[in-house]
Amino acid sequence: MAEKKKLTVAEMLAAARAGDGGGAADKTAGDAPAAGTPPAAEGASSTPPKPAAPAASGEPIKPATAPGGGRMSVADMLAAARTAKAPGAAPAGEKTASEKAAPAPKPKPAAAAAKPAEPAAPAEPRDTASILGAARKSEKAGPMSKAEAAAKPAAAPPKPTIVVPPMPLKPAYAKPKVVVAKSADEADRRDFAGAMLAVGFLMVAGISGIWTLLTVKFMFPNVLREPPSKFKVGFPDAFPGGQVQEKFKAQFGIWVVNAEYNGQQQIVALKSVCTHLGCTPNWLEAEQKFKCPCHGSGFYKDGINFEGPAPRPLERYAIRLADDGQIEVDKSRTFQEEMGAWTDPGSFIPV
Amino acid sequence: MTHGLTDAQFLNTVASFLGPYYIVLALMNGIAALYLWRTGTAKTWFSIRTGDQTFPFTSAIIWLLVAFVFIIMSPLAWSGNGAWMPSMPEAIREAVNRSTGPVVYSVGTVVLLSILFVFRRFFVNPTVAWVIWNLMLLFLGLSMTDRDFYEIVAKPDNVPIVMLVLLLAYFTWLATYRAVINDDRIARGEAPLEALDNEKVLVWPDLVYTELICMIALTAFLIFWAIALPAPLEEPASSVKTPNPSKAPWYFLGLQEMLVYFDPWMAGVVLPSLIVVGLMAIPYIDFNKSGNGYYTINQRKFAYIIFQFGFLVMWITLIVLGTLLRGPNWNFFGPYEFWDAHKVEALDNVNLSQIFWERFLDRPMPMAPSGSPFAVQAGYILLRESLGIILTLGYFIALPPLMALTVFRKYYQRMGLIRFMLMANLMLFMASLPIKMVLRWVFNLKYIIAIPEWFLNF
Repeated sequence: MAEKKKLTVAEMLAAARAGDGGGAADKTAGDAPAAGTPPAAEGASSTPPKPAAPAASGEPIKPATAPGGGRMSVADMLAAARTAKAPGAAPAGEKTASEKAAPAPKPKPAAAAAKPAEPAAPAEPRDTASILGAARKSEKAGPMSKAEAAAKPAAAPPKPTIVVPPMPLKPAYAKPKVVVAKSADEADRRDFAGAMLAVGFLMVAGISGIWTLLTVKFMFPNVLREPPSKFKVGFPDAFPGGQVQEKFKAQFGIWVVNAEYNGQQQIVALKSVCTHLGCTPNWLEAEQKFKCPCHGSGFYKDGINFEGPAPRPLERYAIRLADDGQIEVDKSRTFQEEMGAWTDPGSFIPV
Repeated sequence: MTHGLTDAQFLNTVASFLGPYYIVLALMNGIAALYLWRTGTAKTWFSIRTGDQTFPFTSAIIWLLVAFVFIIMSPLAWSGNGAWMPSMPEAIREAVNRSTGPVVYSVGTVVLLSILFVFRRFFVNPTVAWVIWNLMLLFLGLSMTDRDFYEIVAKPDNVPIVMLVLLLAYFTWLATYRAVINDDRIARGEAPLEALDNEKVLVWPDLVYTELICMIALTAFLIFWAIALPAPLEEPASSVKTPNPSKAPWYFLGLQEMLVYFDPWMAGVVLPSLIVVGLMAIPYIDFNKSGNGYYTINQRKFAYIIFQFGFLVMWITLIVLGTLLRGPNWNFFGPYEFWDAHKVEALDNVNLSQIFWERFLDRPMPMAPSGSPFAVQAGYILLRESLGIILTLGYFIALPPLMALTVFRKYYQRMGLIRFMLMANLMLFMASLPIKMVLRWVFNLKYIIAIPEWFLNF
C-alpha cells in the first residue's frame, strides 16, 4: 500500500483515533471502515443526541453515524468540510488515493450532511480552526453546574453498536513454525541454561538463609547489660520494722520492706513495677503507700493493692539470708500474692 | 515553667501575653460591630430620643462598647501590677476548686452538652453564640493571672488542648447552626441550604489557589508556633523512674483516662480496637439514607446523639480532663489548684466479688485449698466471680434481645438480626465506660470480674 503516504489530515486523524492507531489505514479495504467507526461512536455518545435524521445510506457503519447529531469528532468535521469543497479544491489524484487507502472518512459525510454544518456555503474558504469552532459552538465550554446539567435533556444516549472487525489472517511469517528436530547442540544449550538457573536459585536461597540467620542473631545482643540477678543488700538489722528502703530502687528496681503481712513481721523485696501497666510507682512516706503516677494505682506498705486500677498486689522477689548473714535478693524468681505464693518461705525473711 | 519566678516576675510574664490578648479581643468585637453595621444586619434594640432626633441603639453599638471595655482592660493587664490586672475573684476560684472533681466534671459536661443540645435553637443564635464565645475568651484571660491555672494552660504540651476546646466549640456551633436552619427548611418543605449552593467550582484556579493559600498560612503558623513554644525537653529516660504525672500524648489521654477504670487489656487493646472497628462498621449499620451531603439533626437524631456522645463526651472531655485536670499520682486537681504530689485521696477500691461475699453474704471468699489441682482451683475461681460473670454475660447477651423487643423495636425490624446485634453490642461496649466510671465513683468498685490469676479483669 504505497498510497498511504498521501493520507489527508482527515484520514490521519481518523486513523489516530481508531483503537489500533495508524494501523487502521494499513488494513485492507474490508476492515478499514470498521476500524474507523469508533471515533464517530465516541463522539456521538458523549452528548445526548438530538433527533437527527438518520443517514440515508445503506453502508455498514450506519448505526455508528446515525446518532451523530451531537458533538462531532474532529475527523467528522474535517471530512464534512473537505467533501464540501473537495470537488474544486482537492487534487484528483489525492482524492482517489484517499478513497482507496481508507474508505473510512467517506461514509461520514453522508451523516454529517444532515448537520447544521451543511448550510455553510461550500465555496467559502475554511480552515480547521473555524470548522471546529463552528461545529462546537452549540456546546458551552467549561464545566457545567448542576443546574445546567439538569436543564439539559437527560435522555440516555443509545449505545452505538460496535462492529467488531474480523481478525486479519496471520501473515506467513507470523505463523508458528513447524518444530524442527532438536539438534544435539541445542540440547546442550538447554541443559546449560537449566543448570545456570538452578545455580541462581540455590544462591538466592543460600543468601536468604544467611540473612535470616543474621536477623535471628540480631535478636540476641552481643552484650547484655543486666545487673546480676542475685545481689546482697546488707544485714537484716539495717532494715528496722516498718521501714521501706528505697535506695535499691534506682539500681535494682526493688524496695526492701520490713512490714507485717498476715500477722507476721517480714523482710521482703518488692518489685517496683506497677501491676496495672508497668510504670514505676513512688513510695510516699507521708501517706505510707506506694502510688503509681500513670493511672493512680495505690499499694499498701506490704504491697497489697487498694486504690486505682491495679488488679493485683506488687510482686515479690526471692529473698534469703546468705551464709555470711547478709540478705540476698534473687531477681530470677518472683512470687505473686494472688497465686498464693507469698506463703512460700523463699519470698520473705521472718523477723 | 514558672518555677523560680517571684510573683512579680510571673505577673510580668503573664502581662506580656494578656495585654495583646485583650487587644485581639477588642479587635474581634470591633470587626464584628463593623460587619454588622456595614451589612445592615444590626438589630435595633431600642432607640434613644433626644428632642427631635432618634438615636438607634443597635447591636453594632453594643459590640463596639464591648470592644471599648477590652481596650480599657488591655493596658490594665499589660501593667503587670497585681492590683490593676483584671483577674478572677479569689472566692470564685476557691469555689471552683472545691466543687470540682472527676464526678462533677464528667457529669457536669454531660449535663452541659445535653442542655446545649436540647436548647440548640436558642444557643445557635449568632448573638448568643457570640456572647458565649466572648465569655469563654474572657474566662481564659481572667484566669491567666492565677499561677496554677497559667501553669497548666500555658504549658507547651497543653496549648493545643486549649486551642482544641475553642476550635471544637466553634465548629460544633457552625454545624449545629446549619443543621438547625436545614431542619427548619425541611420542615417547611424546602430544600436544605447545601442544595441551593451548587454553583460550579473550578479546580483551577479556585480550588488550587485556596489550597495554596491555606498551605502557606499553615506553614507560617507552624513555624511561628515552633519558635514561640519550644518543644518541652525532659530528663533522660530511666526504666526505674517514671515522671509524675506521666501522661500519654494528648490524643491518647482519653485512653489513659479509660485505663483508670479498666484492666490494661480491656482499655488498652479491646476497647480501642472496638472504637476503630465500630467507626468502620457505621456505614454498614446505618440504614438511614437521609442527611447525605447536608447538615441535619432531626433527620438523624439517633446517629447524631450517639456519635456526639462518643466523640464529645467520651473522647474530647476525657482528653481535656487528662490534660488539664490530672496532676501528680493521677489525682484530680481543680483548675486553680496547686499540683501537690502529696494530695491525699484515699480510695479503697474493692472488687464485686469482695462486696458480694464479704459484705453481702458475710463469709470469706471461696478459695481452693492450697495444692489442689487446676480444675478444682478453676472451679473455685469461677464460683468466686460467678456474680460478676453472670452480670457481664447478661449485659452482653441478654440485653440486646431485650433492646430489640422494647426500645429499639423499629431498629430491629429495619436492620435485621446480625446488623442489630452488631450495633447493640458496639453500643453496649461504649456504654460500659460511663457505667464503669459511675460504679467506681459510687461504690468504689474496682472490677466486676476480677481474676488476676488469669489476667482477666473486667
